[in-house]
Amino acid sequence: MKKGKEMVAHAQRSPFDHAPCFEDMTSSLQSTARQPKGMLKETREVVALARKFKEEVMRPITLSMDRQMQKDPEYLPWEFVRKANEWGFYTLWVPRIFGGKGYNSPSMSYFLEELGSECLGLSNLIGVHYLAVVTMFATFNIRLINKLLREVEDGQKTGIPCLLSLAITEPGAGTDVEEVELVDKGNVGCQATKVEGGYLINGSKIFISSGHVSRWHIVICYEDLKNPSDTMLVLPVKTGSKGFSFGRKEHKMGVKICPASELNFEDCFVPDDLVLMNKEQNQKNRRNNKQTNSQMIDYVVSTSRAGVSAWGTGAARGAFENALDFAINTEVNGKRLVNHEWAQAMLAEMYKNVAISRLSYVETNYANGLCGLYKTIQFKPLFYYFKIVPKIVIDYIIRPIINLPVTTWVFRKIQLDGQTDAQFHRTSGWASLAKFTGTDAGVKNCQMALEIMGQAGLRQDRRAEKILRDSKLLQIYEGTNQLNRINLFKCLAAQGHSQVRVFEHE
Amino acid sequence: MLSEKETTIIALEEDVVEFTETKPTPPAPKKEAKSVDVKDVKIAAKKTAPRTSKKELTMLAKAASEFAKKMLAPNREENDKYPFGPFFEDALEKAFGVDFFHIILPEDMNGMNQGMSALSVTLDNICQEDSSLGGILFTNAAAQELMIQAGSKAELERICSKETVRDFLIALPVFNNPSEVKHLAQAKKTGDAYTLSGSLEYMVLGDLAGQAIIPASIAGSTRYSYFLVDLKDKGISKSEPILSLGLHACPAVDLELNHVKATLIGQEGKGSDYFEKMADRLHVAAASMALGVMKGSFKEAFDYAKKREQGGHEIINWSEVKMILSNMAIKISNAEMIIEKACKAVDTLEAKWETRSRAAALHIQDMACDLTTDGIQLLGGVGYMKDFGQEKRFRDAKHIQALLGITPIKKITFIENMI
Repeated sequence: MKKGKEMVAHAQRSPFDHAPCFEDMTSSLQSTARQPKGMLKETREVVALARKFKEEVMRPITLSMDRQMQKDPEYLPWEFVRKANEWGFYTLWVPRIFGGKGYNSPSMSYFLEELGSECLGLSNLIGVHYLAVVTMFATFNIRLINKLLREVEDGQKTGIPCLLSLAITEPGAGTDVEEVELVDKGNVGCQATKVEGGYLINGSKIFISSGHVSRWHIVICYEDLKNPSDTMLVLPVKTGSKGFSFGRKEHKMGVKICPASELNFEDCFVPDDLVLMNKEQNQKNRRNNKQTNSQMIDYVVSTSRAGVSAWGTGAARGAFENALDFAINTEVNGKRLVNHEWAQAMLAEMYKNVAISRLSYVETNYANGLCGLYKTIQFKPLFYYFKIVPKIVIDYIIRPIINLPVTTWVFRKIQLDGQTDAQFHRTSGWASLAKFTGTDAGVKNCQMALEIMGQAGLRQDRRAEKILRDSKLLQIYEGTNQLNRINLFKCLAAQGHSQVRVFEHE
Repeated sequence: MLSEKETTIIALEEDVVEFTETKPTPPAPKKEAKSVDVKDVKIAAKKTAPRTSKKELTMLAKAASEFAKKMLAPNREENDKYPFGPFFEDALEKAFGVDFFHIILPEDMNGMNQGMSALSVTLDNICQEDSSLGGILFTNAAAQELMIQAGSKAELERICSKETVRDFLIALPVFNNPSEVKHLAQAKKTGDAYTLSGSLEYMVLGDLAGQAIIPASIAGSTRYSYFLVDLKDKGISKSEPILSLGLHACPAVDLELNHVKATLIGQEGKGSDYFEKMADRLHVAAASMALGVMKGSFKEAFDYAKKREQGGHEIINWSEVKMILSNMAIKISNAEMIIEKACKAVDTLEAKWETRSRAAALHIQDMACDLTTDGIQLLGGVGYMKDFGQEKRFRDAKHIQALLGITPIKKITFIENMI
């Protein structure tokens, strides 16, 4: 009798009530019909461009720049930044309505993998600019996004690069500032105080990638240091502003060419009309301020962690290519190394690590396209309209509309209010999965490459050791891989279990 | 009034004097140098298999630890800048002065006549602070051992009588097993004399030492031989110090040889035999270097975890951090047990001692690579910066893993020796 009741109950439950959630499993499948076909063509163009740039610009300088940085850690890579600016990389993924070339965002991951397979440091000098761009987009403050990105566009036209950096990490808080659930317990110190006409920022930020070569810094700070999750602000600060200064430039193990900067703020004034996001603006959203801040951070990391995963994939690929080249050209025990079965098995494992990592960031980007930051821009009619709309229409019709408060309101309604909790869990969970999958694979492949190469792998002039030094950073920034595992658990793995609590101190 | 540094050195010397006074026997008077047959050396080694007492090992460990803390730790970041910063000449000379380079040498060469236990305990303690000096000690000991195995006692005795550390040191391409990847010079024999030509990669201590041991092939022979050359020979040109992953202050150079006068070590064509015999013994010493790095990394992470706060608590109170620290501590505890057992096996020539030595190295070097990556992770961003020792330990652990040859091939050799 009991068995019969269970069977009836079982029959009444939907097969899709069981974990894992079907939508979480099928982002790529769902995307096949919805995604604009033009994205494939664009991605092919981007990969071709990346390979050309890698060959012509990066390869000749990768090792010498790393050596130069070991000799003189204070060197700043302006020459390379200017070159990347000349090639148009700081506007390539900026939508055309904001003055960019409007390439689709997922194609950037492939680009970062390509460049990352050559040099993570040089690649960072391009990629971290978009970390700040994405942070601006996650506020959906369309007027200010337009204002700052127009400067980036001008920077490309004039040949004087205008890079953006993102400033989150503080001396007393690293992991804590990546998670709204942790930040209230953390030791944050970068404070924004409301004054007439704006805010005064005081405090420091550390480990800010590309800080010393950026013109604008997107600063995350807090009005109440005891209640940061509910008083978070996003404020842009321009290099040269009164009260802003650069501190030390960190001496890192790898990724040396991309400076990790300390930014200091001493009564640094930011006017009200430059506030990208604060509590007052968030009052108009469906979620409360704290939830909106959490959603905003998740929007950022859901895209940036896919990028870091792509770098991890690139590092894994660089290590694989290095080891394969060594195995082909080296004779061991009287036979080419590549023809030893054990070496073939190791190289196959390395290739697998690259392929799996790539799949993880690609799937994350599909999720971002379906229900994350790329949702609006990849909506087919908009995607194609923004491709073909004449510049004159952008300049004289769209730009004035962009500057209207209603545009920001509409975007926030669509992207912030329109995103369900399940959707932002999906993008955030997949991004964490991709982040630690790709970056662990990067370090693992480097370790395997060095084992295969022996003495040759130890030499800086053979490149493998540099990739190992570089790749280790990827397991730390954009949230340590430990934090990302817990985030994956929270967002996807523990779904449907109301008993689960994360970030609770035992 | 003495400066703080001078006081430190005197204190250090006092410690070491205490140790040297407890040597098993005082150094014997020098004997007339003569060539000894390999078989005789082996028999002699077996008869006098060095057995260091526990008390002696404790004292040696203390001396090495004090030395490392006083001479290496304070300047670790600075010393790691080599070749773009100054070389730690003071530390090297001091280590020479307190006989760390004499541990495995026989007494009649002013050596301590100690075995792998003594060398290992020294390397462990040195590498806890800075494994670059450990790399120099290891390379020189490997070169000495290779000469002992080859029976080149007279040559070794001549080298060991040198008074300055640079003249005393012997360079060796210690990361390459010449049987695996044939980085060999070409030897030409004229009468009883030999000259070497060609190039040789990654000669460790090549720009520091007075002489080098070079693997070379003699025309017509399929097997390689070892030769001793004077590094001041005009026919030798050296590259700039090679920029490498780790052990920055244990530098290597590439050599170009042009008709360089050379002395055969042991017998022609026996290079591989000597290398393998040396490697049988020295693998456990390489494992000890890895253990030292592991201990240094754990200590740094443990101390940091007790101070650094995250989420309102010291990070050591988060269970995931405890788990990582625990895994590190377990690895170290196991490595200590393995090395103690392996050293004893090597020093007492237990059955399968060669296997014990090699297995210890392969396993512990692997553990050190895993452990040091966690060591950085626990410090987060600062672990990646030069200000702490963690990033250096991560690099050094991987570097140490490559000692004595390509790791997967060392594993293949291990099983082949059992087949």
